[in-house]
Amino acid sequence: MIKPLPHLLAGLLAATLALGSVTTAQAKTPADQLIVGMSMINLLSLDPAAATGLDVSEVNANLYDMLLVQDAAAPDNLVPALAERWEISDDHKTLTFHLRSGVKFHSGNELTARDVIWSLQRVLKLNLALASTWKAYGFTADNVEQQIRATDDHTVVIELARPTDPMLVLNTLATSPSAFILDQKEVLKHAKNGDMGGAWLTTNAAGSGPFVLNAWRANDVILMTRFEEYWGGPAKLKRVVMRNMTESQSLRLMVERGDLDIARGMSAPDITALSRSDKVKTQTVQRGTLYYVALSTKQPMFADARVRKAVRSLIDYQGINDVVMPHYGTLNQRPMPLGLPARLDDPGYRLNVEEAKKLLAEAGYPDGFQTTIRVLAEPPFINIASSLQSTLAQAGIKARIVTGTGTQVYGSMRERTFDIIVGRGGGGAERHPHSSLRTLVYNPDNRDEAKLSNFQGWRTSFYSPELNALIEQAEVEPDKQRQMELYYQFQNLYDEQVGAIMPISQMTDTVVIYHDVVGYIGHSAATTRYKDVHKDR
Amino acid sequence: MFASTASFFGTRMGGTSRRFGAVLMTLLGLLAMTFFIGRVMPLDPVLAVVGPDADSSTYDQVYQAMGLDRPLLVQFGYYLRDLAQGNFGNALLTGHPVIEDIARVFPATIELATLAIIFGVVLGLPLGVFAAANQGRMGDHLARVVTLFGYSTPIFWLGMMGLLVFYAWLGWAGGAGRIDLAYDGMVPSVTGMLLIDSAIAGDWEAFFSALKHILLPALILGLNSVAYISRMTRSFMLEQLSQEYILTAQVKGLSRRKVIWGHAFRNILVQLLTVVALAYGSLLEGAVLIETVFAWPGFGQYLTSSLLLGDMNAVMGCVLVIGFIFVGLNLLSDALYKVFDPRTR
Repeated sequence: MIKPLPHLLAGLLAATLALGSVTTAQAKTPADQLIVGMSMINLLSLDPAAATGLDVSEVNANLYDMLLVQDAAAPDNLVPALAERWEISDDHKTLTFHLRSGVKFHSGNELTARDVIWSLQRVLKLNLALASTWKAYGFTADNVEQQIRATDDHTVVIELARPTDPMLVLNTLATSPSAFILDQKEVLKHAKNGDMGGAWLTTNAAGSGPFVLNAWRANDVILMTRFEEYWGGPAKLKRVVMRNMTESQSLRLMVERGDLDIARGMSAPDITALSRSDKVKTQTVQRGTLYYVALSTKQPMFADARVRKAVRSLIDYQGINDVVMPHYGTLNQRPMPLGLPARLDDPGYRLNVEEAKKLLAEAGYPDGFQTTIRVLAEPPFINIASSLQSTLAQAGIKARIVTGTGTQVYGSMRERTFDIIVGRGGGGAERHPHSSLRTLVYNPDNRDEAKLSNFQGWRTSFYSPELNALIEQAEVEPDKQRQMELYYQFQNLYDEQVGAIMPISQMTDTVVIYHDVVGYIGHSAATTRYKDVHKDR
Repeated sequence: MFASTASFFGTRMGGTSRRFGAVLMTLLGLLAMTFFIGRVMPLDPVLAVVGPDADSSTYDQVYQAMGLDRPLLVQFGYYLRDLAQGNFGNALLTGHPVIEDIARVFPATIELATLAIIFGVVLGLPLGVFAAANQGRMGDHLARVVTLFGYSTPIFWLGMMGLLVFYAWLGWAGGAGRIDLAYDGMVPSVTGMLLIDSAIAGDWEAFFSALKHILLPALILGLNSVAYISRMTRSFMLEQLSQEYILTAQVKGLSRRKVIWGHAFRNILVQLLTVVALAYGSLLEGAVLIETVFAWPGFGQYLTSSLLLGDMNAVMGCVLVIGFIFVGLNLLSDALYKVFDPRTR
């Protein structure tokens, strides 16, 4: 027998035991720091004019301020932030904001109206990802300096570029990542080649928020420390550490051991398992976006409303929401978020294979047809697609699932080269029906040349002049009751015309929190702030 | 005399130039293939930057800013021109120069891969020798089961089980990440390798914290290498042990240990060099699954994330680095051959 092996094994065992005894297990996070585990794979830029995605909103919400915010506990309420108060003119064309005095940026510079207007103008002048929000209100790089201006150091005037509901604009200012206010002087110090500081702001911050950015190592860690001179009073915790962790089970093990305070982006099975643990608690926040099945009416079969109605009857809404969607979403069959006063109750769609077969036969497809479903290769999307594939098959529709990344799936949607997509979208952070309807249904010009790829209605080639007219009319209707009635009318007509985007579920985001963390209130617009978070130790 | 000296150096330099030329052509070919494959892949880096809801004017603006409107050959030409000046371009994922990103993530992978290969060699070599020396017996079968387990078990699963047992249950291993949060950002970066940097700084608490975090992922990665190294060692050893000189040595009365380690093993060192070099090279490419499970901010994760985003600047930079690694390891093996095998001098 060769001797080295037993010696080797003995040596390894000794080393392991020694290491286990030498190092002390630090099973709890520091009392004055918040440790967050989350995926940073979509965190590409911190620049408010370019930053897309919910993850970066949460980071920036702690580095910057907005003029006003939605109350996290009651998002329908708008609460002053940098603006102490605001007024809407009687003709609904002008918004005036009065800024609070004495607000300092992290650099020490004082925040004035010039910083506010520059930050908002910058979004349009750079024309990056977040510009489309403001272009929808008629603002352009050419007119923005006249429309958004400072009348003195603490007064900002926004003249709406076209008629719209001022409440919509207020909600955008309270939720859009583009509405974070930048330290103009500090940013311009780092500007290069006319980029208005874009390159620098990708990995740095120049805000006035409750935390200061110390470091961002991409796909690794974000370190923030408390801003002692924050206008709203210093945060309760000294430091926030956000760690890149993409594997749900690693997050689960660490939060259960107390090595993480907050775990975001965990998979539903892991959240379900942890909900039975007394070491952690879960918090579920509804977001404005909707999971949907989208049909391209460019395809001849889906151009027929009977076929669309058949597909609608082949979606197992109840089954999907009961089995697939826990911790991902909650049943919603309307193209606007739950809880809005203008939203009608769900129309009660359910799986009805016989009705679907009858409709398909009437439309000339008694034996069904072949089609494809494009979908992200991750839960819950792939699970929804699998369910849809099997229920479509019951009526003879043979659907092949084509998986891909976000850019592949939504890229084909933008190019109108798809049959069916299982996706998610719809705006909805602004607590106003227009935000969702404009994104999901509105299609003012259905021609290919129009390239209105930011409208999901255009992407599906679904064109309804009546629905467009109702959206436009409701947007500018000053009487709130009449506005609600227009939205009721819209929803009924949408059902009747069988819109190409069929909502299934409204997105929810479940966060797992270690039991001694107090004061964390998730925000529906993903602008969750950590200022009042602390630990009960 | 001068003619023969000149001829000698001429031959040497000719050989060196040919080798250099071959390396250059290899790397250029790698880059070209990666570039053109990247451009025809159905990934859209513009959408990754602007998001799926940007309007067409924003999309077109960013498309042009990224130079994607130029013909492919022109794009590749510009890339090579910038590369010749040491500019690998900027990464979409980080906004930083790719070279800076690689300099940041690579030490994390070097540290992990080096420890893993040490485990692989320290465990794999003796195991392979043991199996060969006990061919057909229980020891051999046991060794082969162990190596099969290491090779066949999904590394992702091993990582999760390792975290569950050694971190969650026993508390022996650190959790995900390279170091405990209390020390994060506190160790001055010299090499980027936390074990070395903390030792240089004399911060032994940070050192042991980093050690506790790296041991488990390195061991699991090493297990994968153990399987490969031990199976190759066994195979080489069996070949040697069947040679006549081994029989001669035994007949001469040399001890079994001397015959196996002093003679047979020495003769396979050169072959093992290549095996270990290749194993090390593949570890240096980055073990993305282990890096994901253990939230290890290394090269594998960086490359994979860049690929999924369609960030071809970062992907090409990584491919170039991988190319250099394999070329470098091959050259090192060749040099070490001359040390271990006098016949090759």
